[in-house]
Amino acid sequence: MILENIKLAFNAMRGSKMRTALSLLGIVIGVASVVAILTIGDSASKSITDSIAIGGLDMITIYPSSGQRSNGTFDEAFGDMLSRDVEGIETVLPQNNSTVRVRNGKESKSVSVAGVLSSYGDALNLEYNDGSFFNAMDNINRRQVVVLGSTVAKDLFPSQLAVGQYVSLFRNQAKSYLVVGVLEPKDATFSLSYDNTIFIPYNTYAQRFIRTTGVGAYVVKIAEGYDTIAVSDQVTEYLDDIVGTDGYSLFSPASLAEMANQITGTFSSFLAMIAAISLLVGGIGIMNIMLVSVAERTKEIGIRKALGASPNVIRGQFLVEALTLTLLGGLLGIALGSLLSFAVTNMLDWSLHLSYASFILAMGFSMFVGIFFGWYPAMKASRLDPIEALNYE
Amino acid sequence: MAESVISLQDVTRYYLMGEFVVKALDGVSLDIKRGEFTAIMGPSGSGKSTMMNLIGCLDTPTSGYIDIDGENTAGMTEAELAYIRNQKVGFVFQQFNLLGKLTALENVITPLLYGGVSVRERKRLAMNALERVGLADRMLHRPNELSGGQKQRVAIARALVNNPTILLADEPTGALDTKTGNQIMELFEELNSEGRTVILVTHDRDLGMRCHRQIHLRDGRVEV
Repeated sequence: MILENIKLAFNAMRGSKMRTALSLLGIVIGVASVVAILTIGDSASKSITDSIAIGGLDMITIYPSSGQRSNGTFDEAFGDMLSRDVEGIETVLPQNNSTVRVRNGKESKSVSVAGVLSSYGDALNLEYNDGSFFNAMDNINRRQVVVLGSTVAKDLFPSQLAVGQYVSLFRNQAKSYLVVGVLEPKDATFSLSYDNTIFIPYNTYAQRFIRTTGVGAYVVKIAEGYDTIAVSDQVTEYLDDIVGTDGYSLFSPASLAEMANQITGTFSSFLAMIAAISLLVGGIGIMNIMLVSVAERTKEIGIRKALGASPNVIRGQFLVEALTLTLLGGLLGIALGSLLSFAVTNMLDWSLHLSYASFILAMGFSMFVGIFFGWYPAMKASRLDPIEALNYE
Repeated sequence: MAESVISLQDVTRYYLMGEFVVKALDGVSLDIKRGEFTAIMGPSGSGKSTMMNLIGCLDTPTSGYIDIDGENTAGMTEAELAYIRNQKVGFVFQQFNLLGKLTALENVITPLLYGGVSVRERKRLAMNALERVGLADRMLHRPNELSGGQKQRVAIARALVNNPTILLADEPTGALDTKTGNQIMELFEELNSEGRTVILVTHDRDLGMRCHRQIHLRDGRVEV
């Protein structure tokens, strides 16, 4: 019976192609915009997450506030304390940063210098164009060695290999540092531009370069199998206890990514809701074509009633017709919406993430529209008086 | 004596036309027995069509009772009346009333659809009915590809397919030329001789006289 009804529905559509196409347009546009908005929204939040994730979603960075830096809490031993007291931390890397002028012969530029432990290179999966990271002995002995970011190396040594050469760092007076490694280009994170940074041993920095007992920042690497956001929440709690909320600031790419996801999610849901209104308008178009269809086929309805079709059967026939229309519109809309999403994400250079949830949502909504707006015309058809309908010309 | 398949007891059907009451049928009682070939005759406005609509359960009386095949139709719901139309009555109309977008076979299948017959059985029964009226070779044609006589044969096949208690024909030859009309009339005579109850509604005297029994209506009453 349903199959026959679907066949009848297609018969009716074939009978008035132009009118059907125009009525379908409302549903097609509505569904397409819902699908496109949700899909583009998904792709946007994925690409934002991806760009935040460059810094490593398993990393958080703690910055002691300037007043706390020299009061004894944030020293080199703090890292050991933190990884002992909070579960889920693989390693804590203390680090000091400042800006400095570096020179090789006539070439000179202003760069960020970071004093880090020798384990930093491995912990952050740094890759080397030449040479390697400095080792533990370099740190213990406070050797004047340096690892250059790729841009720094290119600028200071445009035409020769840097490793094995010396560069001068200016801090009150120029000091010579031996280049031991050059990094591969690496995407910048929110806190560090690797390509424009040079790395020197932690002790060299704190005891020879700029004398300090404090630590500028701690890069905390979360152990595998732990949720970064959960661990960073614990770290926050722990630090609040020790130094208070004003004593530090904490930067967590994972938390940031989550926040960004929430924002794009809310935003695209809001837009999708607006798009859903156009679906409602499309539904009114369906109601219109169904009313016309019922009026045009009054005679047919009369004949069917004479042949024994009950009111339920007639109502079913027209409901199925409305549903077939809207589902067809829904499918076309999904195709159009996906195409649109593909075009937009392609243009913005994002990766396409088809939102299957939006497909289901759009189809569900189309079905709802079909039933809701098909109901009245179908009821009207089912209530026609058989004799009047039969005599209708 | 054969049992009644249709029994009207004091049936009236009034219409309201503005402020006037039109008594289309005004106290009609009659019985039609199984296997009878009856003509309901009368000039236009005599109540023929009203009577046909009532017997075919397309309409309900203002008062009185109508039994179809032993079932009292008074107080039946729309759906129950639809079931009676589907199972007990086969309609044949003057203007054929075929569904234009369906083939002859699909037209004949339609009543079976509403009767809940299985897909395979539908096709078999419909093909049998079309063979019975001599249209086995036109099954896949649409109505606009058939002649008037052929269309009426499809309509008769459609009326027969559910094996109804009565065949109810309203001026079935009215839209056909004399020769074709005669062939259709012969088909009804054949069906009647096979034992079917046939009721022919007509204003044509010659046609009416070919039936075995005539009921004359005038001004909503049966003429004796």
